[in-house]
Amino acid sequence: MGKTIVEKILAKASGKKEVSPGEYVEVRIKTYIQVSSDGGGTPMPETFVKFGWDKLWDPSKVVIVPDHCGSYTPLSYDATNNNRENHRRNSEWARNMGVPEENILDLGRVGNCHHMGIEEGWALPGSVYVHADTHSMTVGGVGCFGPCVTASMAALLRTGLTWFRVPESIKFNITGKLQDGVMGRDVYEYILGQIGPAGAIYQVMEYTGPVMDEMSMDGRLSMCCLSIFTGAKLGIVNPDQKIIDWFKARTNVPFEPQVSDLDARYIKTYNYDGAKIEPQVVVPPLRHTVQNISAVEGIKVTNAFIGSCASGRDEDMRIAARILKGHKVHPGVMFNITPGSSAAMMRSAQEGVIATLLEAGCFICAPGCGMCPGYYTPLTKNEVCITSSTTNYPGRMGDETAQVYLGSPATVAASALEGKITDPRKYL
Amino acid sequence: MALKFKGKAWIFGDNLDVDKDIIPFRKMNLGLITFDNLGDWCMTNVDPDFPRKVKKGDIMVVGKNMGCGHSHQQANKAIKQCGISCVIAESFDRNFFRNSIDIGLPIIEYTDIRKMVKEGDHLELDLHRGQIKNISTAKTLNFTPLPDFLLDILEAGDVESHVNKLIAEGKV
Ligand code: SF4
Repeated sequence: MGKTIVEKILAKASGKKEVSPGEYVEVRIKTYIQVSSDGGGTPMPETFVKFGWDKLWDPSKVVIVPDHCGSYTPLSYDATNNNRENHRRNSEWARNMGVPEENILDLGRVGNCHHMGIEEGWALPGSVYVHADTHSMTVGGVGCFGPCVTASMAALLRTGLTWFRVPESIKFNITGKLQDGVMGRDVYEYILGQIGPAGAIYQVMEYTGPVMDEMSMDGRLSMCCLSIFTGAKLGIVNPDQKIIDWFKARTNVPFEPQVSDLDARYIKTYNYDGAKIEPQVVVPPLRHTVQNISAVEGIKVTNAFIGSCASGRDEDMRIAARILKGHKVHPGVMFNITPGSSAAMMRSAQEGVIATLLEAGCFICAPGCGMCPGYYTPLTKNEVCITSSTTNYPGRMGDETAQVYLGSPATVAASALEGKITDPRKYL
Repeated sequence: MALKFKGKAWIFGDNLDVDKDIIPFRKMNLGLITFDNLGDWCMTNVDPDFPRKVKKGDIMVVGKNMGCGHSHQQANKAIKQCGISCVIAESFDRNFFRNSIDIGLPIIEYTDIRKMVKEGDHLELDLHRGQIKNISTAKTLNFTPLPDFLLDILEAGDVESHVNKLIAEGKV
């Protein structure tokens, strides 16, 4: 019997010949571990003091990133609740713990924490990669096993050890070819519409088939980032040559990519025809009311946002520029585009993408989470936003009366142009 | 052995979202270095009086996909701080499951639990033996206990205290 990519990664990481779903394994983490000033995580300096710990398992593998929620903004106006302050505290603590100076990063070299693992080559294909934030599973897009370990993080930094329950896998086979203007984002939301918010509880969503083979790394990362909303442990894509080349260009650390065996066991298989997938829009207030764009076209919007761990990659900014080139953002819309990382921002600037977006009247925000958690340009009363960020419950992006529609970066750009939800395909 | 609990059942539905249902996102104090007073907001979006109605030791009985959405551990802490001794769910979101173990909020997975328990029923739980006794209906349900090393974390109170035990025993 063959094994899935996730079973192979977990077997290797736990030093076993093979593992099966339901089994619990202990794993020693060998990849870099990011400590970011993120919202859900455990505060490291305080926790280490509280439990009397004076050392890290391996300081050379720890990196400090001034994420999370707009490291450039206070979380509130109270000086004790301030991300710069969090970052300073984390950095000092790390220095005292022997973390090398070059691992302590600050603004100008960073961005959203989940973009960083890919940009810096920390989240290696075939490895186990841990992070305290929900969307660490983004790295599944490069064939890396990255479930979030929020409340385990302090213990893990101290011991280098953690545990996982080996999950079952579901195979999503996407055949055919996507239409121009239909993105990885739409494929994921389409699947959510089909299987619902509890469609993959505690399971792995393994995305395969011709559509996935064709899809860019950026599209794959976006799909895996969102997999949480179907209840999944994570989403993953078998890495191919373009992924391997990306990491070879970024790290000297050896890695062993894994791929699923042809006779691996899946708890279920779903087949979808990619050509039939239309641009998808998630309608508030629930995260799982998914509609074809035709059902919501024409709804007026006041804000648009491309960014977060679910978008803000090169491809996302490129498609927005393609749609906006020679046009202006609708006068009634504030269009915030937040590149995921400094590196993505620089590449987009070199390509001329950023200039096109600025010419069209977009507001380019400093790399990070941007509007997603409502800390930067938050939505105010009764505003309506279309965004390719992660989620949409009331209050997520600011005021609780604001409404958040979710769509692909292409849909967001076309909607920003017309001031209402718009099918991007007519601009491509 | 510890990990035995007694309390009254509070019933909730499926797909309770961490930030939308369990604790309002804006009440989490993301980024603060303390996790105080989260219990005051536990389930208030679903039932505004819940934190005042709960008695220490009470048990939450919920449907499928408990704790879905983001992985904010504030939700698990809110439940623990408001006095709930254990959460029984038909299934758990994986992040919620993991955070519960790490912060020391006992959990039991039992398919169909809502068919066996009504709001207000008196329950007695034994996590080591894998037993749920419904005193009100005089029925006993059995489940497969969590593996010992996870029960050890729950017993220690949280994952950090568990690590300290391992350090003291020279195991890490
Ligand atoms: S972009 Fe949003 S969902 Fe992603 S890590 Fe930042 S706040 Fe969380």
